[in-house]
Amino acid sequence: MIICPNCRHEEISGAIFCSECGTLLEGLSGFTTQNIPSTPPDQNAEVEEKVQPAQVIPDLEADVSLCVVDTGQVIPLDEREEFTLGRSAEGQPILPDIDLAPYRAYENGVSRLHASIKKQGRQLTATDLGSVNGTRLNGQKIPPHKPCALNHGDILTLGKLKIQILIRR
Amino acid sequence: MPEPINYYNILGIPFDATDEEVRTAYREAARRVHPDTSKNPDTAEHFILIQRAYEVLSNPDQRSSYDLTLPDVFTKPPVLLSTMFSRSSIQRKSEPQLIYVLLKLSANAGNTKYTNPPLNVCLVIDRSTSMQGTVMDTVKKTAIELVRLLRPEDIISIVSFSDKADVIVPAGTNQDRTKVEKSIQMLNPGGGTEIFKGLEQGFAEVKRYRTPKAVNHIILITDGRTYGDEPACEVLADQAAHLKIGVSSLGIGGKWNDVFLDRLAAKTGGSSMYISKPRDVEILLKEKFRGLGDCFADRAYLKFDIGPGTELRYAFRLQPETSMLEVNSPIQLGAIQQVSKLEVLLEMYIHPVSSERGTINLIKGRLFFDIPHRADPQYSMRVEITRPTSNDPDPMPPPQAIVHAMSQLTLYRMQERARQEVAKGNIKEATRRLQFLATNLISQGQRDLARTVLGEAANIQQNSTFSEDGEKRIKYGTRALLLPSSKEEKGS
Repeated sequence: MIICPNCRHEEISGAIFCSECGTLLEGLSGFTTQNIPSTPPDQNAEVEEKVQPAQVIPDLEADVSLCVVDTGQVIPLDEREEFTLGRSAEGQPILPDIDLAPYRAYENGVSRLHASIKKQGRQLTATDLGSVNGTRLNGQKIPPHKPCALNHGDILTLGKLKIQILIRR
Repeated sequence: MPEPINYYNILGIPFDATDEEVRTAYREAARRVHPDTSKNPDTAEHFILIQRAYEVLSNPDQRSSYDLTLPDVFTKPPVLLSTMFSRSSIQRKSEPQLIYVLLKLSANAGNTKYTNPPLNVCLVIDRSTSMQGTVMDTVKKTAIELVRLLRPEDIISIVSFSDKADVIVPAGTNQDRTKVEKSIQMLNPGGGTEIFKGLEQGFAEVKRYRTPKAVNHIILITDGRTYGDEPACEVLADQAAHLKIGVSSLGIGGKWNDVFLDRLAAKTGGSSMYISKPRDVEILLKEKFRGLGDCFADRAYLKFDIGPGTELRYAFRLQPETSMLEVNSPIQLGAIQQVSKLEVLLEMYIHPVSSERGTINLIKGRLFFDIPHRADPQYSMRVEITRPTSNDPDPMPPPQAIVHAMSQLTLYRMQERARQEVAKGNIKEATRRLQFLATNLISQGQRDLARTVLGEAANIQQNSTFSEDGEKRIKYGTRALLLPSSKEEKGS
């Protein structure tokens, strides 16, 4: 029996992919999303909410950028309407549009395909894609597969990785 | 120089017959022509030949030196079969397990390029009212272009049907191609859709000129659902398979019954294709003709027994045309082309394996096919698929080819299961599966298809059913991901 690390579905040994969620099961040891112990909700929420929007919105073409809170690095979101966020992993065909692997995504429990951000006119939404450790918006867990509206300065937490949303007005 | 006597032919056995098969064939032949029981004076001579054949073939040393005297065409297998496994051994353990087998069949022709075999094809065209307009115009235009490309040895017949069927171009040699074109031009839509009537006529046309030296095939072009005559069509497909006639279909738009047409394809080794835009009829029909023409061996089928303690759970043809296959013997595989391999993926379920068990037989049987360019087209070869057992699990990851094929086939099956859930009324389950499917599609860059999937997820929540178009777009969209060329396709 194999338990799918993503959706907990039980598969017969020898299965290569989870029939429920399509996750690769073979040769996963060491590459699965780390299960981080769940922290009580909103423990840090107040602190998080106080985070001020990054000082300057860098001079980029993009209307929307992401700021990795820990390191201050800014990732512009341009050229497209929709972006997937996650972490690349060796031997995996999955490549998110925004690869968070360089920002210690693995240690922070980011799934290979964790969430997506969508631009629709002035509307910006985030959707959790059924990630293992979930996504929080300003400390509140958002339900999987449901788009949630984003505003300038919002903190999106993927697993434990905090990302601030920057929208140029 | 006289041809050496072929002892294999005398016993009526293939070149790769096992010792057991040699013995059985000998016993049967000897009983048939024994001088004591037969009055025919020739049988005595024949009986001696059979005795001699058995003497040589039942002795391994004599058999191998005798084999060297036979011509290459008889001893060299015309088709190469290679197998790949998800794991090299099966672990002995008390829980069930799965093993995946990738079968690859290719022409063993070296650099020789054979002339494409003659075609004996019937186009069965739906002329129900709904076909009117661009669809019918494109079908007619394409059919005429295809007729112009035919060689003198090819035979085409055309049947049109609504609630009745008409043979508008009968099969025949020395066809007047200008007359054929005129008959196609005259085709006018009107009436309902009764597929059986069309298929029955098409079958009769192909049957008349059926030969193992040609590609015998029926191509059904329809945009509608047939009512009540599906079982009759399936019986007809079984008969077609028996006579080695393939059935493929092109379904246009969202109304036709894809599950039904898939079954006809699986029964006969044909294929079913989905056409969303009327203009694609041209591309797909021409592709179908090209595929039929580029044939090294046709009507390949696998007749087999499953080993004890194992089950064949799922069989799918990955190449040249993706198609669901039967899981029970015989499995119709279709044609082995000259250019590309025929690839089939099998999912096998292994019941708990006791600690004493040695090698496990997965599949034991024979692969049959016809090679049209040969004087004697019929051929068969032994297929035995086994795996050793081991105490520890195989530490190696499955081969990349199997992982890749399964990554895509998993998506196709997620779609299948979502449909099953909808059929059972489990909307919540179905929605969840579609959402997972969409996530996977997004991760592969298939944004358009992912959007369709999410659209249908919303649809089933509202209407408890798929939209007819969306359902087929998802099915054939995920199926298309299995084709090698789809790797480059990234959403728009």
